[in-house]
Amino acid sequence: MTMKGFATRAIHGAAGKREAFGALRMPVYDSVAFEHETAASIAQTFAGRKPAHVYSRISNPTVQDFEQRLKLLSGGIAVLALSSGMAAISNTIMALAGAGANIVTTRNLFGNTFSLFERTFKPWGLGVRYVSMENPAEIDRAIDSATCAVYLESVTNPQLEVADCALIGEVTRQRHVPLVVDNTLMTPYLFDTKQAGIDIELLSTTKYISGGATSVGGAIIDNGTFNWEWSAKLASGAEKAGALAFMASLRQEVYRNTGACLAPHHAYLQTLGLETMSLRIDRSCDNALRLARFLAGHPKVRAVNYPGLEGAASHPVARRQFGAKFGGLLTIDLVDREACYELMDNLRIIRLATNLNDNKSLILHPWTTIYAEYSPEERLAMGVRPTMLRLSAGIEDHDDLIEDLQRGLGHSHD
Amino acid sequence: MRVTINGEVETIDEADLSISRLLAIKQVESPDMVSVQVNGKIIARQAYDHQLVVADDEIEFLYFMGGGA
Repeated sequence: MTMKGFATRAIHGAAGKREAFGALRMPVYDSVAFEHETAASIAQTFAGRKPAHVYSRISNPTVQDFEQRLKLLSGGIAVLALSSGMAAISNTIMALAGAGANIVTTRNLFGNTFSLFERTFKPWGLGVRYVSMENPAEIDRAIDSATCAVYLESVTNPQLEVADCALIGEVTRQRHVPLVVDNTLMTPYLFDTKQAGIDIELLSTTKYISGGATSVGGAIIDNGTFNWEWSAKLASGAEKAGALAFMASLRQEVYRNTGACLAPHHAYLQTLGLETMSLRIDRSCDNALRLARFLAGHPKVRAVNYPGLEGAASHPVARRQFGAKFGGLLTIDLVDREACYELMDNLRIIRLATNLNDNKSLILHPWTTIYAEYSPEERLAMGVRPTMLRLSAGIEDHDDLIEDLQRGLGHSHD
Repeated sequence: MRVTINGEVETIDEADLSISRLLAIKQVESPDMVSVQVNGKIIARQAYDHQLVVADDEIEFLYFMGGGA
């Protein structure tokens, strides 16, 4: 019998081998090394002829269980769990890019991702070409024979732009370039990236998946839609590994050599999070929409940006792409930075912290935190304003959140 | 028929043996993480159900879990 529902699959996982002691929940295998009974066995494992664990930087039973559960939920052909979302991004680019390669992306990126591209990879020679993701013709013009990926976020953080992935996917398929999308804000529950034509999905599992900010983690999902023979870096690997060439390159080289492994204890926590993910996301999305509507009607709020609001510029694409749920993140603009601080300092329930999609509602002033390392001009070019607050809707009772914002805004000047 | 699997000669008495069936018979773990090579050529995953194994084939199940420290 197949498990059709997301929650059913999240809770039960794929039918597989019985755990050694029949434990209904995969235990934490907190062991670095795994013993083999014969020399031939460990040699066969190193040769890739036997699927066994040898060393937890390479693979681990608890981490593998998390990967397999995520694979079942995502529809990808292979999943790799990593130590963080940033590890997922950096490992992906390192696996795809060879000498002289470039990526095509947008300036509207998570601040650390922009820093990774500009300050870490550019000095190593990676070309980074910024285009508007709203303009497929511009993306097409930016791609050349050295382009190894088109990279974007399904919903950008904190600009909350929604890329039309189907439209962009038409370009990348025609140009034989993999489309890589950070789907952290939506997760496989809200956005089926495979159906949308995305080749590689990246996740910071720290957010919705971890079950309430319990642990830092990331994941790479290969949807199995890209022919790796078209990749300059992976074509030779594709002769050996076929559809698994990208994953083979990660597991046997980049991920292994950079030590980007997820800790078994974190994999355990994130597997717990997976089980309740759909319930929590439903509640978070509902709260976000209620907060957005409340804030849109408040006289001290100059602007509200939430893809779920019918007036939002991103709404038509978001509605078509995601359906009726739009994630838990919204931004508001007040009159100036001081007004933002006054609101933040007078909240009693919503917490001041730099994370999102936690069970707790969180608020942050991106201009003076995540983006503070950039010049004002760079920040404005990235769609970040001094008047902007980022609000991540948690799963509390919405009346309490609205009352908290009402009280906070009462202390904020206009 | 006699086939060689991961360097070991084995006898499998089953007619019309597909790659999918062979993976099941051999109780291959994590079949989604294995690539199957027949006589030096990687078999496309979508061909597993209809590509048949014949006598004297040399078959490799290749996993991509990676070597260790």
